[in-house]
Amino acid sequence: MEIVVISGKGGTGKTSIAASLAFMASQQTVLADCDVDAADLHLILHPRILHREDFYSGVKAVIDPEACSACDLCRQRCRFAAITNSDAAYAVDPLACEGCGYCHQLCPSQAISLVDCKVGECYRSQTKLGNLLIHARLEIGADNSGKLVARVKKEAQQAAESEAMQYILVDGSPGIGCPVISSLSGADYALIVTEPTLSGLHDLQRVWELASSFGLRLGCIINKSDLNPQLAVRIANFLQQKGITLVEELPYDDDFQQAITLGKSLVEIDPGKWQSRFQTIFDKITKETR
Amino acid sequence: MKIAFTSKGPAWDSPMDERFGRTDYLVILDDQSMELTAVSNQDSQAVAHGAGPKTAQKLFDLAPDVLITGNGPGGNAAAVLNRMKIKIYTGAGGLTIRSAYEQFKHNQLKGG
Repeated sequence: MEIVVISGKGGTGKTSIAASLAFMASQQTVLADCDVDAADLHLILHPRILHREDFYSGVKAVIDPEACSACDLCRQRCRFAAITNSDAAYAVDPLACEGCGYCHQLCPSQAISLVDCKVGECYRSQTKLGNLLIHARLEIGADNSGKLVARVKKEAQQAAESEAMQYILVDGSPGIGCPVISSLSGADYALIVTEPTLSGLHDLQRVWELASSFGLRLGCIINKSDLNPQLAVRIANFLQQKGITLVEELPYDDDFQQAITLGKSLVEIDPGKWQSRFQTIFDKITKETR
Repeated sequence: MKIAFTSKGPAWDSPMDERFGRTDYLVILDDQSMELTAVSNQDSQAVAHGAGPKTAQKLFDLAPDVLITGNGPGGNAAAVLNRMKIKIYTGAGGLTIRSAYEQFKHNQLKGG
């Protein structure tokens, strides 16, 4: 059974909540960090890397200096100003190149080729809890993509199958774009973490539109619920109207900040306060998917 | 009638792929002849962004009347498919092509 934690809006506490849920059934769970733009589950779960693989995505232009006739056409036409010509040698600035391939089409000397780009690495790791975490790290300037999320999820599904794990817990990315669509594909349950702000409500509505079209079971946690009680009520009304389970309302708590600073989860820094609370949340979710 | 399936393999007993945009195969069933035609979707899997619309384009060319898939297409792909007036059925993620077809015939899938 695959549970994806998403938020619509960033900064709602999605990863803090996902990390604490990771402690609930850790010996039956494979974890996947699909928020690859800002992957941070590893900061809390301190994984030991067991296996790493390069990840390629997209292309970049490369100029063969032997074949280049220095006609300057590519430099003039590149919309990203990615072509440089210092000392009469033409070259592509890899950070500026968007891989559109226009120069490749244009070059009268066929001196420009498009090569696959290594944009990061994908890891299978063992966390401090002993279970597996599939995660990835992007290089500077690379962005998360549906392709990378699909890769991380596929590895997590294979790991869950080979280790006979009951649950896959996915930390999804914020927003409603390609990586989020990709993280919802194949999931059974989406847990939306929101906060009582206007943008929290707005982004909740947008992510609901997406997730509901995927036919997933949906639950929501309103984090920092006491910061704006009126908006928390509006959110609760929206959830009721759309048939989304309100799994829990968590009042604002300094422990979130404290836990992040210490590189720990909430359930580690104050088990008495958080253990049973997150167990209840986890049980509610797993009960609904049964 | 032509029915399209998103699947992980080309045969009747291949498991369905719950993904739309990054499905391994599109398999088309002609329910007159009951023959399957499989189209690899590797090129759509290779793109970083926009796999859904790319697969929708492919489906446009194949012109089926019905699509059976797992979770369903995302927003952009759904917009394309709606214009094509394809009937979309979801919830077939855990099945094989054969059992998905059976469920479709017996109106057990969501959508339409």
